Amino acid sequence: MNGFLAVYRREVLSLWVTPLAWVLLTVFLLLQGAIFYSIVTHFTSMAEASVDTGPLQAYFGQESIFLLMTLLLVCPALTMRVFAEERRSGTIEALLTAPVTPASVVLGKYTALLTTYALIWAPTLLYVVILRKTGVVDWGVVGSSYLGLLGIGAAYLSVGTLMSAMTKSQLVALLLTIFVEFGLFILGVGEYIFDPGVFRDICAHVSMMSQMEDFSKGILDLRRIVFDGSVAALGLFITTRVVDSWRWG
Amino acid sequence: MIEVSELTKDYGTVVAVRGVSFSVGKGEVVGFLGPNGAGKSTTLRVLAGFLGATSGRVRIAGHDIAEAPLEARRALGYMPENAPLYTEMRVGEYLTFRARLKEVPRGKRVSFVGSAMERAGVTHMAGTVISHLSKGYRQRVALADALVSNPPLLILDEPTAGLDPNQIREVRALVKDLGSDRTVLLSTHILSEVEATCERAIVIDRGLLVAEGTIDELRTRQKSSGLSLRLRDPNAAAEAAIAAVSGVSVASAETDETAPDRRTLRLTVDSALKTELVTEKLVQALTGAGIGIHAVVPELATLEQVFSALTRHEQETDNTVASVTNVARP
Repeated sequence: MNGFLAVYRREVLSLWVTPLAWVLLTVFLLLQGAIFYSIVTHFTSMAEASVDTGPLQAYFGQESIFLLMTLLLVCPALTMRVFAEERRSGTIEALLTAPVTPASVVLGKYTALLTTYALIWAPTLLYVVILRKTGVVDWGVVGSSYLGLLGIGAAYLSVGTLMSAMTKSQLVALLLTIFVEFGLFILGVGEYIFDPGVFRDICAHVSMMSQMEDFSKGILDLRRIVFDGSVAALGLFITTRVVDSWRWG
Repeated sequence: MIEVSELTKDYGTVVAVRGVSFSVGKGEVVGFLGPNGAGKSTTLRVLAGFLGATSGRVRIAGHDIAEAPLEARRALGYMPENAPLYTEMRVGEYLTFRARLKEVPRGKRVSFVGSAMERAGVTHMAGTVISHLSKGYRQRVALADALVSNPPLLILDEPTAGLDPNQIREVRALVKDLGSDRTVLLSTHILSEVEATCERAIVIDRGLLVAEGTIDELRTRQKSSGLSLRLRDPNAAAEAAIAAVSGVSVASAETDETAPDRRTLRLTVDSALKTELVTEKLVQALTGAGIGIHAVVPELATLEQVFSALTRHEQETDNTVASVTNVARP
């Protein structure tokens, strides 16, 4: 536990004292701002709005493809260095010869990434505050939408952590992560391509877009959470095994 | 503090360490010596718990590193080769992180970090970002890191590599100072370092332990030994007398310029023969020839000679090295 906290604190510090998190934050907010701006202008030009749709639902739900595309950029960039850099610079040797278990190292780093991910999302709460000035905001929808985003982030960051542990090169880790996460994303698109059947059902279940569409309507589907959690847990489990396996390299 | 028995480590096809056994007692300062690529770092990494042993057992402070890895690692401070550090952190920040990681209790953290910085001489750099430090200071920060939990055992992998002569002297003095109250195992390929800081040395070469002992013991392990004679030899008849003794040859002869009957001869003695016996025979032969003997001085081999003799393997096969290993084991 000691080791977990120490690793966690160091990792958060190192993410935010280096430019990486700030660059990602800037790029992310620029993109989100542009998406949100175009959605809001779209809604203001509409003559009448239906009850169950609004700028927030569109931002988190129907138009979530834009939001997910930015995540495909931000998450791999956030995770690429987490183990690859430690192994390239050799600091992993100092880390793993301290009295800590591989599991607490992996969890400490992962939790730090998840914290940073949440911090990067935090400024978008301002969008909700802005919308509240002009209309009514359903806080339940806001809550479930952010929960959906946290779930997707948890899965993506876990995959990225694993990929970073697989290689000493940050670039290779980045590309591998994009490859896997994009594959996961494309699998969800299959919902709109395949004929009704088992395969389409599978695609619908793993679809990040459908997940966000459900969550943005306030539908908390436990299966979605279980899926995100499973991807995250599997990724972290394999990462721990990988870290352990370095002893035998 | 350290007990290693039959340690073997292979990286797939390459065997880095083969069947090495040694032990380091409490309070000793031991040098771990070998040419580059001999398996020093691999052995130390196994001891520190960074690599797993392919076979063999290692006990650190009584804890088997395979069965109780955390307890074993708690007992040691390890400084990896090339002093890898998180360069984006400040020195004080980094050491506090390391202290937290090494389970130094919250109340003692400040004082432990402070005393580690003081001993390593980096107190005035506490606020500096590590990426701005010179190689020498980074080395010291890594040393402070090894010290920060105040462990009874230090394992230092080439602590003076890449330092300038002044820094090397400082680090050696520090290691010597540290050795006064704890056990230290340090690796190096520089012999003078071992002579300057260690009481005992373990020599490995190509993954095999080739010698172990105190510095003096190692000196006497040289393959061919030498003798120096100072003689009163007005007729320059010594060479002829020495030629009659088998296994001895004259390496050089000098005549004293101020006193022409005084000569100094340097002899090489075949390592297969006992020096005592040869000396006896030499003295008999020389006195028999009417030559006055003023001094017979056995030449102490320098560690350099021992080292190159032990690790030279152009003509040797693995078997002969292995047999040397067996002899060397206590």
